[in-house]
Formats: sequence, C-alpha cells, structure tokens
Amino acid sequence: MVEALEAKKLKEHAKLKEYLALTDEVIVKKNGRDWSRDAFDLTTRVLHVNPEFYTVWNYRRHILVHGIFPTRSVLCTPPEINEILTTDLSLTTAHLKQHPKVYWIWNHRRWCLENVPVGPTEDDPDGWRRANWNKELFVVERMLDADARNFHAWNYRRYVLASTPVQRAEQAELTYTTRKIEANFSNFSAWHQRSKVLTSLWDSGKLDIKKSKEDEYELVKNAMYTDPGDQSVWIYHRWLVEPGNDYEILRREITSIQELLDEQPDSKWCMESLVFYHRLQLRNHSSRLTDTDKQGIVQRCLQLLNDLQAVDSPRRQRYIDLSTEVQKLA
Amino acid sequence: MSEAPPLPSLARNSHIKHCKLCLSGLPSSQVEMDSSRAAVGFYCLGALDLLGAKITDADRAAWRNWLWAQQTRGKYGTGFKPSTYMTPGNDSDYSEYDTPHLIMTYTAMLSLAVLRDDFARLDRPGILHLIRACQREDGSFSALPVGGEADLRTVYCAFVISSLLDDWSGMDVDSAIAYVRRCESHEGGYGQTPFGEALGGTTYCAVACLELAPSTAASPRETRMSPSHRERTIRWLLHNQTASGGFCGRTNKAADACYCFWCGAALSILGAADQVDSAALARFLADCQFKFGGIAKAPSERSDPYHTYLSLAALAIYPPPAADETWKLPSLNVLWNATTETARWARKHIPASN
Repeated sequence: MVEALEAKKLKEHAKLKEYLALTDEVIVKKNGRDWSRDAFDLTTRVLHVNPEFYTVWNYRRHILVHGIFPTRSVLCTPPEINEILTTDLSLTTAHLKQHPKVYWIWNHRRWCLENVPVGPTEDDPDGWRRANWNKELFVVERMLDADARNFHAWNYRRYVLASTPVQRAEQAELTYTTRKIEANFSNFSAWHQRSKVLTSLWDSGKLDIKKSKEDEYELVKNAMYTDPGDQSVWIYHRWLVEPGNDYEILRREITSIQELLDEQPDSKWCMESLVFYHRLQLRNHSSRLTDTDKQGIVQRCLQLLNDLQAVDSPRRQRYIDLSTEVQKLA
Repeated sequence: MSEAPPLPSLARNSHIKHCKLCLSGLPSSQVEMDSSRAAVGFYCLGALDLLGAKITDADRAAWRNWLWAQQTRGKYGTGFKPSTYMTPGNDSDYSEYDTPHLIMTYTAMLSLAVLRDDFARLDRPGILHLIRACQREDGSFSALPVGGEADLRTVYCAFVISSLLDDWSGMDVDSAIAYVRRCESHEGGYGQTPFGEALGGTTYCAVACLELAPSTAASPRETRMSPSHRERTIRWLLHNQTASGGFCGRTNKAADACYCFWCGAALSILGAADQVDSAALARFLADCQFKFGGIAKAPSERSDPYHTYLSLAALAIYPPPAADETWKLPSLNVLWNATTETARWARKHIPASN
C-alpha cells in the first residue's frame, strides 16, 4: 500500500516537473519573441496539458501572424493560410471534446474562423469560409448532442449563426429547436433558443405572431400533457401568455390547465400556473369581471395556494405570502 | 409530522485542514487552476475567515506578500495577476502577455482584507485605470484589458472593486447597468450574456450589481428592475431549491452546493430570504461534506475550496434552525461576499483617505 502511494507521488512529481519545464520554456521563447515552428509546437504541447493557460493561446496566435503565415519571403499564400487555420480548427475540436466549457478554446476558434481568407477563386470568394463556418455549425451540433445543456455551446451557436458569411434562413433554426425539443421536452436550452428565434421572426415580420403563437400553444400543450412535471414547459407557456392582455387566450389556457389538473391532482406546476394566470385575470381584466366573478377567482387561488403548501412544501412560506397578496385583490 | 433526524455536525476542523492544505499546493489534476490561483486563494481564505481559523503570523505575512507580488503596473493601469506563472523575473511591470486580471484583482483585494492588510501598497488610481481599460463599448468588462471573457461575472468584479474603493470614476455606470439589464432572461434571473438562459451565478452578480452602484440621473436605483422581472426572478430562484434541499443553477438541472450561495444570496438581496427552506438547505450541505475535509458540489463527490467556501457563505446567510454550535457562523456582507468583520476592515482601509 505504501509502495503504491510512493509510486503515485513520484508520478505526480514527474508530471508537475514536466509541466513546469514546459511552461518555463514557453515563457523564455515568448519573451524572446520566438515565432518559430518549434515555438508553435511547444504551445501545442502546453495547451494540450492546460487549455486554460490563456496567455499561451495569445502567444500561439502571435506566432501564426508573425512567424508562420509569413514563412516565405512574400506573405504566405491564401491556400496555405486556409490550410493552417483549418488544421488549427481540427486540433482544437479535440480540445473542445475534453474541455467543453473552456472559454479560451471557443475564443481561439472564433479567431481562426474570422481569419479564413477570401477564396479559393474570384468566382467563388466565399468557398473556404463557407466550408469552415459550416463545419463549425456541425461541430457545435455534435457538442450539443453530447450535452444538450452546454450553454457555452448554445452561445457559440448563436454567434456562428449570426456571423456566418452565408446566412442561413432563421426558419431553419426554428426547425432545429423543434428537433431538439421533440427529442427531449426537458431540454430547457432548446426551448430557450426557440423563444429567441421566434422573437426575432416576429419582430422582423417574417412570421405572423398570432398564428405562430397558436402553433406554440399546441406544441406546449402536447409537452405539458406528456410530462406535467417538467419545469421547462411551464416557463415556456408563461412566456407565451405574458403579459396576459388577451382575455380569451388567458381563459382558454386556464381551462386547459384545469383539465390537466383534474387528471393529475398533485401537479404543483398546474396549481402554481393557475394561481399566476388567475392573478393576471384580476390584475389585467377586472373591468370585465363582476364582483362575484372576482370573489370566485380569489377563493380559487386561496384553495390552490393551500394545496400547494402541502404538495410543494419547500416553498410553503412563499405560498403563504402569496395568499396574503391575493387577498388584497379581493 | 414525524421528527427529522438531527442535523449532523459541521466538520469545522476538517474543512479548515482542507483549505490550509489547498493553500500550500494542489495536485496535478488541478493544473487548470494555475491561471486562477488568486481566486483559489480567496476561496480558501474566505472559508478560514468564516470558520474563525487561527492563522499564524508567518502564514499571514507570507500570503500577504504573495498577493502583493501579483500587483503589477503597466500601460492599462494596475491590478493583480492570477499568479506568477507567466512572469519569470520580479518585474512589477507587465507585458501584453501577463496583464492584470479583473477577477483576480477582486479576489486579491478581498483576500488582503481577510488577512487584515493595511492596503498601504494599493495603487488606487492604477486600479481605476484598469477598470476603465477593461470596460467595453457594450458596457460590459473584459477580464483582461487586452480581451478575454466579458460577461456578468467580470461586471460584478468591476462593481465590487469600485465599491471597495468607494470610487466609481473608473467606469461608465449607466452603460454597465444597461448591459446588466440586457442579460435579463424571460424565466426571471439573468444569463451570463444577453440572450443567455438564466444562471444562478450570474443572477447573483446582476442583482448585487444593481444594488451596489449608486443611483445616477439616468439610472435611479428604483428603476433598475421592473416589478414583474423582480417577481419572476424571485419565483425562478425559489423554484431552484430542489427536493434535496440544495439549489440548482438553471431550470431543470441538479442541485449543486455552490448554487446554495448564488441563488440563496440573490434571494437575500431581493428581500425574499424568509421564503427559503433553510433547514432543508443545511441538510443538503451537511450531506455534501467530504469525509476527508472540505465540502463538495453534491453528496459523494470530491470537495474543493470553491464549493467549501460558497457552502459556508450560504450557511452564514441561512443558519439552520435547531442545530448545534458547530453550525454557528459569523454574519456575511452579501453584496461583497465577505464576513461583516472583513467588510468593516475593508471599508476602513481600502478607500483612499482624504
């Protein structure tokens, strides 16, 4: 047992020594403005061990710009630059798989992409860029397949879609989110992305908001009934309903959720949402309601909040506080 | 209602040992922490501060000196580096490669306050210059004056540094507040960047920022969060307390000890602390204690200084009812994330004296 510990300690020591030697060497080279191929390979080795060593990423880019790109007496040709950047993108894909959340790797990829030269020909000036940016979207999709909730990947996806030289139709992204959501209703990040894409399509007039929202209510209802315990769906539903100025839709959704609650009497999300939507009725539509209506709604809320104290006991105090709030609306 | 089993003790000595050990060195598996040493140091020292650990004079002096060795000057102003890993010699001036780091500046300043430094060596105008150099056109702050991550975490650090200095002249407050607001998520809470999903950590950062910055003509404090967003945020945060008693950091994720602080502290700032189930919270964190010391992100995981510190900070805000003496922790300044005593010391010694 002691021998095993000793062996482990020695191995640890050797690893640390190697790492420190590597980093010392890199520091010396960078201070000496060494832009050679050797220096470049050295940065590769250091970054393999520690991709968070951000100054080495900076040094690597300086080597590319000052050393490797201008390797001949004239500036490196565009095909060679494209080749080198494409290779760096491949290399960092491997890093990304090991370290999917390290900012500096994503950052380096951005730099590579943004520096891909125009070409290959005058007739096809976007060929190289299209190839690299499309591949990037593919890489992001693989990352999201591996971890659908990696928000670094989702942020990066938004960056790629916004920056790619040949723009994709926004509808295509809507379809992508549909695919991810249908694969897993709990994928909140996909629902979130969907809300962003729809907002953009509505704002630009590319999709009619009323018709589109109806489609969304259908989608959400399906998800709600499939798994009423999934928080993502209820957040998305609330986003669709708010600010709750359309009385007919508000009433319709309340009825729909009530029906679900009748089937699933312990569903805290049903109860919680009903309270919220009833409160919207009282706040936004009191002129349509008789005093009797209002009293009825208040009583309904108090009943639900009482049930919630039992069904969702960690938040007991919240429901007690809300009951006080609701009573003020009576 | 049946009696819940009594809360196990908080293994204070074990956690103190863990933090002291981490202060002296980390294993090779943690090599990625090399570029964040000043932050790791802060988590260790913060934990020792909360646990009332005895620090020897020799250690205190050594750590203070190490921290001051990271203060560095140059064309973008003055600040603290993460460590000496990019600096071979003893230059106190930096190059483009090893500029000071905004997050490390924040952690270094708080660490020095924990160590009761007199801050005579602090280059206050230089730090204001750094903040200015790091602020971007969209109002956010990059971690380094030459680039790097720019999101709500770095914004929070810039705000706390300014608050510690009691001097907001290093930034355009209105522009920064506008950036914070652009990070609002429809779920309630705030994402790391605009368009992002709400995250526990950045929600804390946002809520703290909006509270810290002085009112300006263009951004009076009362207008920084609409009532509906405040309500949404409180709701989102409260629903992050899972059945385990711990908080998760995002919709539909698992509980993680650090979010007990990020979400719990945000709720405290928003005045909703009484709606948190503090007994369940403590039970979760008790289970996160690692048998060899320190507190882990979840039960049966390995501990680390980050989760250890944040768990203790959460417990300082939410002392468990009906618990033994081991659970008694000093009060916390929630906005700066330091004990009230340390905050008092910082308030006395960090701002420039008139």
